[in-house]
Formats: sequence, C-alpha cells, structure tokens
Amino acid sequence: MTDTAYLEAAIKILFVGVIITAAYIITTRNLISLIRVYALQSLALVGIALALYGLEGSLVLLGIALVTFISKVLIIPYFIATIQEKIRIKRDIDFHFLSPTSSLFISLGLMLVIYIVLSRILVEIPVKGNLFFFGAVIGISLMLMGMMVTFSRKKALTKVLGYLSMENGVLLFGLFATELPFIIEFLIIIDLIILVLLTTILTVGIDSTLEQYHNRLHRFYLWDEKGDAP
Amino acid sequence: MIPDFALYCMLNTLAVIIISPLFVSLIKKVKAWTQGRQGPSVFQTYYTLAKLLSKEVIYSRNASWIMRVTPYVNIAAILTASLFVPLIYVTDSVGGIGNIILFLYLLVLARFFMALAGLDAGCSFGGMGSSREMSISAIIEPTTIIVFAALAFVFKSLNIFDMVLVSSATGTPVTPTLILIGISLFIILIVETSRLPVDNPETHLELTMIHEGMILEQSGRNLALMELSAAIKQTLLMALIINLIIPFGLATSLSLVALGIALCVFVIKGTVLAGVIGLFESSMAKTRFFRLPSLFIMGFFFSTLVIIIEVFA
Repeated sequence: MTDTAYLEAAIKILFVGVIITAAYIITTRNLISLIRVYALQSLALVGIALALYGLEGSLVLLGIALVTFISKVLIIPYFIATIQEKIRIKRDIDFHFLSPTSSLFISLGLMLVIYIVLSRILVEIPVKGNLFFFGAVIGISLMLMGMMVTFSRKKALTKVLGYLSMENGVLLFGLFATELPFIIEFLIIIDLIILVLLTTILTVGIDSTLEQYHNRLHRFYLWDEKGDAP
Repeated sequence: MIPDFALYCMLNTLAVIIISPLFVSLIKKVKAWTQGRQGPSVFQTYYTLAKLLSKEVIYSRNASWIMRVTPYVNIAAILTASLFVPLIYVTDSVGGIGNIILFLYLLVLARFFMALAGLDAGCSFGGMGSSREMSISAIIEPTTIIVFAALAFVFKSLNIFDMVLVSSATGTPVTPTLILIGISLFIILIVETSRLPVDNPETHLELTMIHEGMILEQSGRNLALMELSAAIKQTLLMALIINLIIPFGLATSLSLVALGIALCVFVIKGTVLAGVIGLFESSMAKTRFFRLPSLFIMGFFFSTLVIIIEVFA
C-alpha cells in the first residue's frame, strides 16, 4: 500500500518535471539547453513509464520505457546536438506571432480549457483515478504547447524540437488515457528518427536547387572534401 | 502565549541580524570559487559592517531630510518584516503579525524610501537606479502577489506562522505544488534581492547597476544600515523558502536544545541555498532589461498553475 502511494507521489513529481521542462522549451532562446531539456523531459517520461510499470505490472510499459530511453534520451538529442554543432547556431531569438511570454499565458489558458473539457468528457468513462486524469490533461497540454513551439519559432531546429515535444505529449496521453499498442509507439519513434535525419537537410535549406544545396553544405561546413578542419 | 511571543520576537530578530551577513558572504564565496578565485573570508561582511558603523556620515549638499531618514526607515521596516518570518522557532502569532500582505507592504515601504533617497541626493546614477528599480518592481509586483496567493491557497491561510506550523507538522514536504512554489519563490528571491539576471550586485558599472546605484550616495553608518537591511531582506526570503519547502528541524517548543538544533539546521540549509544561489548566478549572464519579464513570467506561470491545481483538483 505504501509502495503504491510512493509510486503515485513519484509520478506526480515527474508530472511537475514535465510541465517545468515544457515551460522551459517554450521560453528559452539557447539551443544547447533546449536540446538538454528535451532529453530531460523524455527522461521524465521514462520515469513515469517505469513507475506505471510498478503500479500495473504490464510488460508493454517496460518496453515503452526502454524504447523511449534509447531513442529520445540518447539517439535523437545526440543527432540534434551534432547538427546544431555543425551549423553553428547557438541561439534562436526569432519568434513568429507569439513572444515566449504570451505563449506561456496562452498555455496556461489551454491547460485550464483542457482540464474542463476532459472533466466533461471523461465523466462517463471509468477512469482509474485522479492520477490518470491528470496524466491525460498534461499529455494533451504538452502536445498543444509543443505545437505552439512549432509555429512560434523560426529556426527549423527549434520547430523540430517543438514537434518532438508534441510527440512526448502524445506518448504521455497514451500512457494514461488509452492503451497505445506497442508497435505503434515503435513506429512513431522510427518516424521521429527519420524526421531528425531529415532535419539535417531542412536546416541547411530545402528551398534550394541541388547545386545551391551543395554550396550551402560547404558554407555550413557540413561537407568537407579536402578534409581540412572547418 | 504573550511571553512566549515576546521571547520569539527577541530570538528571531537576534538570529536574523547575526545570520544575514554570513549568507551574503557565503554567496560571494561560492561565486569566487566558481570563478577560480579564493574569495573574501566568510566573515568579511561582518568586518565591513563594523568598519562602516564607525565611519562618519557625509551628506550631499542637495540632500534633504529624506536622505537622513531613509536608512532608519529602511532598517525599521525590514526588521519589522523580519518578525513575520520565523527563522528557528515558531509559535502562535499574536496581533496579526505574520500577515502575508502586510509583510509585502513592509518590504515595499523599504524599497520606496530607498528609491526616494536615490533620487534625493541629486546624483544621476541614483536617479537611474531608482527609475529602474521602480520599473522592475512594478513588473514583478503581480508575480509576487500571485506567488504569495498560491502559498495562501496551498496552506489555506494568510498568516506565515500558520503556514510554517502546517508545513512543519505535515513532515512530508515534497509535493508537486511545493516544488512549483519553490521555483516561483526562488525567482522572487533573485529579483527582490537584485541578483544576477536582473542586476549585478558586484559591479558599480553605471550602465547596469540598480540597487548599488540607489545607495551610491550613502556613507558611514547609514550605508551600514542599508547594507544590513538588504542582507536581512535576503535572509527573510531565503527563510521563507527553507521553512515552507524543507521545514524539518524547526523548533516548536522553547527549549535550549531544540533551539540550538534549529539554529544549526537553519544555518546548514541556508548555506546550501546560498550555494545554489551562487551557482545559479555564476551560470547566468545579465539579461537585457526588456527581456526580464520572461524570467518573472516563469514564476507567474508556475504559481498560477498551483492555484489552478488547488482550486480544481
């Protein structure tokens, strides 16, 4: 009994961690810490999945935790960090439409709306308790906050990070509200890795012809034929 | 109850005056270490205050009575405010002491007089400092109110004594709401004590200074009082974080052993927090003035979230 209480408390604290990282992703301008915080957010999700495994004992959760850890904590942040290092952009200071301050205000409103809407929708369906309801609320909020990052940033790298944090929201919602089949989760992650690889092309310029693209690769030191240090 | 409370008042004031300079030096020491320097001794602030207290006061020719009265108003307001935050011993409050709104107003009174004194001497740096300080405090005020409102929602009381009693009685301190409030209070602490992303406490560079600019014209024992009241204000805000978020070790009965343990525990926890502040400051560069709202808004966001959680869940 006390074990269950501890696990639930741990999950709640991890929820707070997810919210803090989401707020940080919305406001920060520093790309390096953005990537680290994304990795941290994914790590919090891994923790939540493990704690849920402790509560429910379903092996799928353990699989999700493992796949999330390998892909979202290790591989994807590593790739993005490498790209970021190569194109030598340290900051993303341009914002479309919304400044970080107003984004945070809007996300507060979003959370409130989602809370109210979900409490109307889920009243019919037997949810397993307060915890699962909050997980669903935070999952959808995280999704919408990630969407806000995607459309309020200008750099392709940060847009991708917004998309990735959106996917974290989907995963969180899937963990708590529905039973997401493992295979779908796995396919989503493969998609994500391909997306991150494509980012290499996107950040350098999708709007160019092949010749121009080659030149740009040179300019960003991504292509080094002579082998001299960039 | 009344004698208990009188004893509390003496103990608390004594503790806050003795401990405050130590925390100031500790933060400086941590910052020096991160920069690879030895740094001043941890007792340096005591020496500086003692030296300043024995020096004569010099007033500018333009200075009016405001300049003369400000250090005393400042220290009086801050010391009264220090009665509102129990440091090492907590008892039932008497006569509305501990009211959170009055606490905020006392801090603002001190700040208001400090800004007036900055303008009063006719020094242009003082004027710049005052204008900046007032702009910042106008922006931070809603955040501060929301953070303290969130505290009131979580502990179901407007009195800091009740809050501390509740949090020291429950014992299991780490709840999600308290983590969020802790972050908000930390941001308030950084802004109210003019620390790094907002103001650099170490520089007298005219382009950046806020707090230092306002007390530039103070000298001698007046300067000592201003420095001491700034140190006490910092200790009070640190004590709020310490005693609300990690309350273990706080004395609830008047015995010498309990008080001794409480004092030791408080100094240790304060040292850790001072270390955190020092590291936080060392890892930051000063932000542009117009970017500051994005720092406050984090505190606002988290504490509004706490209120939403408390109201709906």
